[in-house]
Amino acid sequence: MFAAFHIADLPMAAALLESPHRHDQPCAILRDPTNKDDAKIPLLSLNAAAWQTGIAPGWPLNRALVRCPDLVVISRRPQRETELLAELVEFAERFTADVEITSQDTVLLDLAGTKRLHFEGLESLPNSEVEVCHSLAETPDLAHFAVLEPRTRSRFISLREIATLPLSLIGKLEGDAKFLPLLELLGLRTLAEFCQLPRQGLTERFGPRAGHWYDLISGKTCRLLKLHRPPESFLQVMELDDAIHSSEALLFVLNRMLHVLASRLAARHLAASVLEIRLRLVDGNLNREIHLPEPLADPVALLRPIQTLIDSLILPSPVIALELNAATAFPLSSQSDWTRRQLANPNRWADTLARLEALVGSGHVGIPVRLETHRPDAFELRDAINSSVLVSGNGRLPDSSVPLHRFRPPLRISVAFEATPDLHPRPLALLTGPHCGRVLELRGPFPSSGHYWNPAEKWRRAEWDIRLENSPLLRLVHQPGDRWELDGTYG
Amino acid sequence: MAATNLQEIRRQLREKFPSAHGFTTISEPVAQISKTLFEIATFPAGAISEIIPATTGGGLSLWIAGLLAEPEEAPPFPKFVLVDGGDSFDPASHTAAACSQLLWVRCAKVSEVMKAADLLVRDGNVPFIMLDLCGLPPVSLKSLPAAAWWRLKQLSEATRCRLLVLAPFPLVPCASLRLALSCHLELADFDLPRKEILQRVEARSEQLRRAT
Repeated sequence: MFAAFHIADLPMAAALLESPHRHDQPCAILRDPTNKDDAKIPLLSLNAAAWQTGIAPGWPLNRALVRCPDLVVISRRPQRETELLAELVEFAERFTADVEITSQDTVLLDLAGTKRLHFEGLESLPNSEVEVCHSLAETPDLAHFAVLEPRTRSRFISLREIATLPLSLIGKLEGDAKFLPLLELLGLRTLAEFCQLPRQGLTERFGPRAGHWYDLISGKTCRLLKLHRPPESFLQVMELDDAIHSSEALLFVLNRMLHVLASRLAARHLAASVLEIRLRLVDGNLNREIHLPEPLADPVALLRPIQTLIDSLILPSPVIALELNAATAFPLSSQSDWTRRQLANPNRWADTLARLEALVGSGHVGIPVRLETHRPDAFELRDAINSSVLVSGNGRLPDSSVPLHRFRPPLRISVAFEATPDLHPRPLALLTGPHCGRVLELRGPFPSSGHYWNPAEKWRRAEWDIRLENSPLLRLVHQPGDRWELDGTYG
Repeated sequence: MAATNLQEIRRQLREKFPSAHGFTTISEPVAQISKTLFEIATFPAGAISEIIPATTGGGLSLWIAGLLAEPEEAPPFPKFVLVDGGDSFDPASHTAAACSQLLWVRCAKVSEVMKAADLLVRDGNVPFIMLDLCGLPPVSLKSLPAAAWWRLKQLSEATRCRLLVLAPFPLVPCASLRLALSCHLELADFDLPRKEILQRVEARSEQLRRAT
């Protein structure tokens, strides 16, 4: 035995919750309009007053307005609709745990484990007081059929009664109405007339979907429900009697929480992919997320990234409470691919990267990627765990065929130069810095500039490649204001 | 005993029992080592190799460029790690595909370099680690105790890492291989393609043995 719970015109019911004064006024909600100026947008949902005027969902707006000039178009409330559906599911779960969310306005219940055979007196949702229709049938899809038709609601409906329902009910179920106009052209009006046709002929002419509907209407198939399971929370909160001051004590408490988390994960054959830690301090809160490189369920392995995090934290005040939550994923069970290079231990790699970042500072570890600018030394470091560097999108050639060994920051030096009629003076000798001497040979200048439209960021420079005696090849830079710098050495 | 006699005895012992003595240098032919200079297999696994410039501008940046080369596609994770003591690596001197193979660790002090190297060698996920010490002050490099290198060597033996030290002068007492690079460059060479310039990099290998 299966039951179906349905909220008729759920979009309208949700919208009227926010505008209760429109109950007595004919109202309609339109389907998502692609062109808002189009007067032929079909109606999606109506309230009772609008139904009484004789219009129906699917009518174009201009036609509905001819029939009902007082019709008010109101907008959908998707958030409210979601809340109503959640309330409907919660309502259904009072009777059985085996509930399927079949569509946005209907849920199916498997009543195999219950003795309840009627739901009289339960016609509205307890919180929002929105009307709920129900019907009972031998199979879930028949119950779904029955609840969509007003005359078969609120009771058990037999197979014989189902057959008297109109064929257009198939069209109300999403995506299955492709062959419906053809059947109507053949003169079929009820489900019984549909079932009188030979199944093989239906399948040959209208495809396997018609055969499926034939079996369903004649009660030959009873599918399993796709059960709805509410999302589980792995949140643990620990209020501390005495505030924690040291990282060792903090780790000890977190280790205990991890063991609880690991046992709960193991019981569900799951693993943690993200750990969310919230430290409630005397002065404020501290939230951190640890994205694990691969799902883990082992408490010892889970503790390692937490230890790295705690070691790198400087807490401004003692901890009075801890919260630990985890986002779950299925544990990895794939075999290593021998044809591709893979990391031997991705978790250890993530931990090492976190330790390196704690050692040298944030933004000092990663995969270098040049930025799409001509500004000198413009690059960013990308995360080495989830690196997807687009080579084709950033296919710039190197600046020169001889790589540069950069000085960061560039070395400010004094240079003897001669003025030229050009914009940039010509260097003659390097007077200060690690490489001094007469310029024997040079290439340049290579002028470049950028961001001229922004006074705060604009830059202009001229570069020379120079050779001194007993010195490597150097890159010399001249900037406005006779500022000379050494960018680096070549080779 | 006269000093000359003592030296003569030492020379004879050294010739008779070469492995029982400190460093001995076996130079390989220049052409042979230069051919495989940019190949990973040139450097022994589970050991420290050292690369020093034989002349000013010895071509250490060129060697890194040759090692990174230009792969056809970006790997899913880094193939090499560069612990950059002087923060002197220039991404603009390499293609994006070459850079995508490299994990760059930008350090400022020699202590950071050694700690980062320790972490990476212990990790062992990326088995080719380069320590670029050329941008650091020589005084701080000379102050490094030999024990620090021996510890790194033992770690690399355990994880089979290839640890390469790019230093301005011979620094690592337990290096299994020491290469002295030289490359004579002129300003006119900037117009040549990089492949041709890389062919000019020459290496003199010094196979080092220590009696232990």
